[in-house]
Amino acid sequence: MTTALRDFIRNPTAAELELVARYGMQPEDARRERAFLAFAETGLPHRRMEAWKWSDFRASLKSLDRPKQAAIPDPLPHDGALVFRFTPSGFAYPKTLPSGISMLAKREVQAFSSAEDLPLGALTAALAGSDSKPATLLFEISGRDLPRLHFVFEGAGEASFSRVVFLLRPNAELVVTESHLGGVGMASALSEFTLEAGAKLTRTIYQRSGPEDAIGIASTLTLDAGAAVTQTTLAFGAKVSRLETRVVHRQPGAHLTLNAAYLAGKGFHADITSHVRHGAPECVTRQLTKGAVLDGGTGVFQGKFLVPRITGQHTDADMQHQVLLLEDGAQVFAKPELEIYADDVQCAHGNTSGALDDAQLFYLRQRGIPERQARGMLTEAFIAEALETADETVRDVMLAEAQDWLAS
Amino acid sequence: MLKITNLSATVGEAAEAKGILNGLTLDVPAGEVHAIMGPNGAGKSTLSYVLTGRNGYDVTGGSATLNGEDILAMDPETRAAKGMFLSFQYPVEIPGVPVMTFVRTAINAQRKARGEDEMSAPDFIKRSREVGKTLNLNAEMLKRPVNVGFSGGEKKRLEIYQMMMLEPKFLILDETDSGLDIDALKTVADGVNAMRDPSRGMLVITHYQRLLDYIKPDKVHVLAKGRIIKTGGPDLALRLEKEGYDGVLGEAA
Repeated sequence: MTTALRDFIRNPTAAELELVARYGMQPEDARRERAFLAFAETGLPHRRMEAWKWSDFRASLKSLDRPKQAAIPDPLPHDGALVFRFTPSGFAYPKTLPSGISMLAKREVQAFSSAEDLPLGALTAALAGSDSKPATLLFEISGRDLPRLHFVFEGAGEASFSRVVFLLRPNAELVVTESHLGGVGMASALSEFTLEAGAKLTRTIYQRSGPEDAIGIASTLTLDAGAAVTQTTLAFGAKVSRLETRVVHRQPGAHLTLNAAYLAGKGFHADITSHVRHGAPECVTRQLTKGAVLDGGTGVFQGKFLVPRITGQHTDADMQHQVLLLEDGAQVFAKPELEIYADDVQCAHGNTSGALDDAQLFYLRQRGIPERQARGMLTEAFIAEALETADETVRDVMLAEAQDWLAS
Repeated sequence: MLKITNLSATVGEAAEAKGILNGLTLDVPAGEVHAIMGPNGAGKSTLSYVLTGRNGYDVTGGSATLNGEDILAMDPETRAAKGMFLSFQYPVEIPGVPVMTFVRTAINAQRKARGEDEMSAPDFIKRSREVGKTLNLNAEMLKRPVNVGFSGGEKKRLEIYQMMMLEPKFLILDETDSGLDIDALKTVADGVNAMRDPSRGMLVITHYQRLLDYIKPDKVHVLAKGRIIKTGGPDLALRLEKEGYDGVLGEAA
């Protein structure tokens, strides 16, 4: 068995061997195996893979285990929300759920169709699940005016893999907030959302981890006719981190807002990657990503819009990435891509990087605002635009978190 | 109050540094308003930036003190807390920062630097409303981001609003009349005149005499080639208007 497992990944690293061992401890399951084989094809993503050249998990992740550290408290409010908590070994959830939300914690792995595109997602599908944790947590949402669902991903010591699958029935409306707080050698979450016609999702993601963590947050979003998704992320990065979102506009008239702000300090790496396929006519995508990076920090933005020739007609899409390099030694890699085959579309993109404006900085200081505070104010104002779309229950907290980071 | 002695300054990086101020001497006592006039390129704006500490302006000689304290050694924010205020010729847009937030942050930062208590929110709002009223700035404008989408006249009125809110000890008005129509000019001048006080000094930098009809100076200085070459009463401004800088400068040289 062990020898056979070893052969899954060529020249495995210590961390990869640990992943293989974890897989070996899981019950046999054909879908689990398919997911793991998809991951094993490449092993931990590394720089020789085009899509991962700036986010080398293999090199960064020496081992899954790491010394315990103080947990990062969850800044997002729990009041008024249904709270679901994933830790490396456990899963906690509310005793009762209102009608309109049904939950099924499955021990079996659900098929994961994007395994080839999302290697960390495939890994998560293969390794999620234990005695006390579901392999797949399924939600079926059929109502409106539902309480917010808040997911906390945290814990210390071991690697953590969590998978949540949502199905939003026609015209359902859901607000989801997530706190990815790290604390483990590797934490990887996979979320899959399918929105049927007219359904509406507001999803807000907060990610903050220690400087030794590897964090993967992989998501798929599938939108039917007239469905609308607003996803807003605030990411502080980790030793290595990747927030990857793959979206398919599957039927006409779907609307996507995909915003993110990343703040990367010394020793932190924050990767925001997305792929949006306009697989149906008359769909709209608005994407705004803002970043601020300090000396020794690394930001990565990779965005792609794919607009096929027939199905992509009358696409209306805009991709903007703007980043502030706050200090010498800040690193940012950006790859915005529009791949357009349809001829009757409106697609735009912009990509800028620069330092804070000297004239603005002097104006604030002349009024008596100390330099550090002035820099914080200007940077906050710069990134705040990307956070305006965050759910109103958490927006102010997210802005305050960004402000604190900038002031420290 | 403000005492400038033999001040020299350059603009730009070391190799390409250009001397703009060349031994400028000027004394503005408390309670007085002094005007500085001069042709383009005389160093008027440079003087305002050197006095307020903008990056890229290097003092190469001389001194400047406010009430006996050497201001040239201070950070811009420290100078502001000591009471130096510059009304910018071109006020800067700050997207994403509402006027009220900006000004309240500035007031409290200055107070903190001086070891004073913060201004409470109700006191601030009350004061802001009073000042806004005298300058025809409505509450809606004060909620907008600083200078974003403001007309030229609105920007200048917003400079005066900030000045009245911050109550500085020494005011520098850099070409505050530029871009103003006659009504806006009167509003701005009324605001500035309301700030006149026996304990406060003002330096009014202008290219044209027009502003000085509304803000009456005690003294007028002519700045050319980086130094004060002539000083007189308000009538000097009228002569400059009539005879031009060439006429007056020719005589001085």
